[in-house]
Amino acid sequence: MIELKVLWAALLAYVVAGSIGIVAVLLRRRPERIILALIVLGLLLHTWSIALRWERLGHGPYITMFEILTSNVWSMMLAFAIAYWRIPPIRPSAAVVMPVLFIVMGWLLMTNPGEGHLPPTYHTVWLYIHIGFGKVFFGATLVALAVSGVILARGTAYGASRFERLPDDKRLSELSFRCMAIGFVFETLMLIAGAIWAQDAWGRYWAWDPLETWAFLTWLVLAFSLHARFTLKLSPRAGSLLVLAVFVVAFLTFFGVPFISTTPHKGAV
Amino acid sequence: MHAWIARLASLKLTLFILIALGAGILMSYAEWMSGTWALAVPLALFALNLMAAVASKPAFRRQKALLIFHLGLIAIVLLLVAGRLTYLKGSVELSEGEEFDGQLTSFEAGPWHWWNLGRVHFSNEGFRIAYAPGVVRDKTRNMVRYADAEGREQHAEIGDQQPLVLSGYRFYTSPNKGFAPTFFWQPASGGPASLGTVHLPSYPLNEYKQAREWQLPGTGIRVWTMLQFDEVILKQDGPSEFRLPREHKVVVHIGDLRRELQPGDAIELPQGRLVYDGLRTWMGYAVFYDWTIHWMLVVCMITVAALGWHLWRKFSARPWDA
Repeated sequence: MIELKVLWAALLAYVVAGSIGIVAVLLRRRPERIILALIVLGLLLHTWSIALRWERLGHGPYITMFEILTSNVWSMMLAFAIAYWRIPPIRPSAAVVMPVLFIVMGWLLMTNPGEGHLPPTYHTVWLYIHIGFGKVFFGATLVALAVSGVILARGTAYGASRFERLPDDKRLSELSFRCMAIGFVFETLMLIAGAIWAQDAWGRYWAWDPLETWAFLTWLVLAFSLHARFTLKLSPRAGSLLVLAVFVVAFLTFFGVPFISTTPHKGAV
Repeated sequence: MHAWIARLASLKLTLFILIALGAGILMSYAEWMSGTWALAVPLALFALNLMAAVASKPAFRRQKALLIFHLGLIAIVLLLVAGRLTYLKGSVELSEGEEFDGQLTSFEAGPWHWWNLGRVHFSNEGFRIAYAPGVVRDKTRNMVRYADAEGREQHAEIGDQQPLVLSGYRFYTSPNKGFAPTFFWQPASGGPASLGTVHLPSYPLNEYKQAREWQLPGTGIRVWTMLQFDEVILKQDGPSEFRLPREHKVVVHIGDLRRELQPGDAIELPQGRLVYDGLRTWMGYAVFYDWTIHWMLVVCMITVAALGWHLWRKFSARPWDA
């Protein structure tokens, strides 16, 4: 199937870009234009693959685990590519974030690419709005993770020497905080759009189903991390640990709940 | 008094409350404690903490967007309380052609729910449900007839994304639906004849359990009824649609008496005459009432807009790497 071959080509471009990014940090080089070009190439191929599947099945990538993984790899790569392009000083943080994306890509390759049935409750514009806000949230959190990972890596002498050319921890922590704040706004919008969809689709705006529960827990952890930052005057390192905690909970929500539950939203199937 | 408010307004208390709320959700999710208390106590504390903070922290007077965001959070908690006190969630089953009489099959309601269901009138005019290969339910189209606020008769199609909303009550079609054999019962005593339907277990979920026991009105006689048909209604290997079988029979057991009935067949009993009228469908509706949902949406949008405005002003005032 051509869409799978195009997807593999896209993943290959991402992996080569990420590998160059990791090696560049280890060797203290900055081949940033090559990395950005490979990421953009990967995104173009990935977009083509998703478009081919969308055209073939008549619905977007949001039903099966394969579709959830491929669309989230795409949106995470897009978010990081925008940050990579627009914020040059943080480009070496690709060495931190790409291994996380490699894990998701490996998971994607092991997942059955078969098709699923589009439930009748998915025929609504609120689905796209809900998913779109969620992707912006997760993308912003990923960029925050990249920056926070640099702060944490600098806790060792080796990490400090490899990331010495990036801005200092205080500034990186401020950038991370801003990404988390943007993520908080979009996570809130995601919950609101999801509630509107749920009210029309299943006759309730909130029912504490597994995905709703974990999405709200993510919101709480995010709210806690933002509030703790200025209440407790956290150090950049402590703030980074909270960003890591938010990312872990968000990752479990986005990928863990759909993985272990056949009906993450009650009534969705 | 002021010291007390200052303590209640503590930002560190906010952190503790957020942890308590998260813990409450997890404990309720794991069914270790009642969801009501696990959420109500932290949320009540949260509202008090926010109100005290808004009343005592000068930052809120300087930053209007931040003030609106926190007032919005308080309003959301208050609306949640109002919603839980007055909500209604229930279900009702209606046969094809049957009118809703205000009675629900099951429900849960807040203690202050004002029962207006008696004012709600609509009838189920039948439905069409498409099925994808593999007997996967697809679009539901349910025709309903109802009286609008002026008492005029109206027709509408509901299903999937589209509920019927009457007097604030929202009626949603559900996956719960099936076949309903219809009977006339004419008592030997000469009383009025009654028409009734037997809602067989949901189809296709209970495809091989299409039987139910019921009681003849005004008697203690138990009637066991089973629907039998041979044809395949919903196909595994192609698209199909929920419909009545073209040919069927109804098997009835009353004590030792066993009869197989076609539409129009009757059973004579000492207590009266039971006539099998024919087969219909029934639809299960989920019923929802919560007057706060529109207010909640408005407040949520204002709250998140205020948060976005506050963050925009804060971040645009100084670059991150300044």
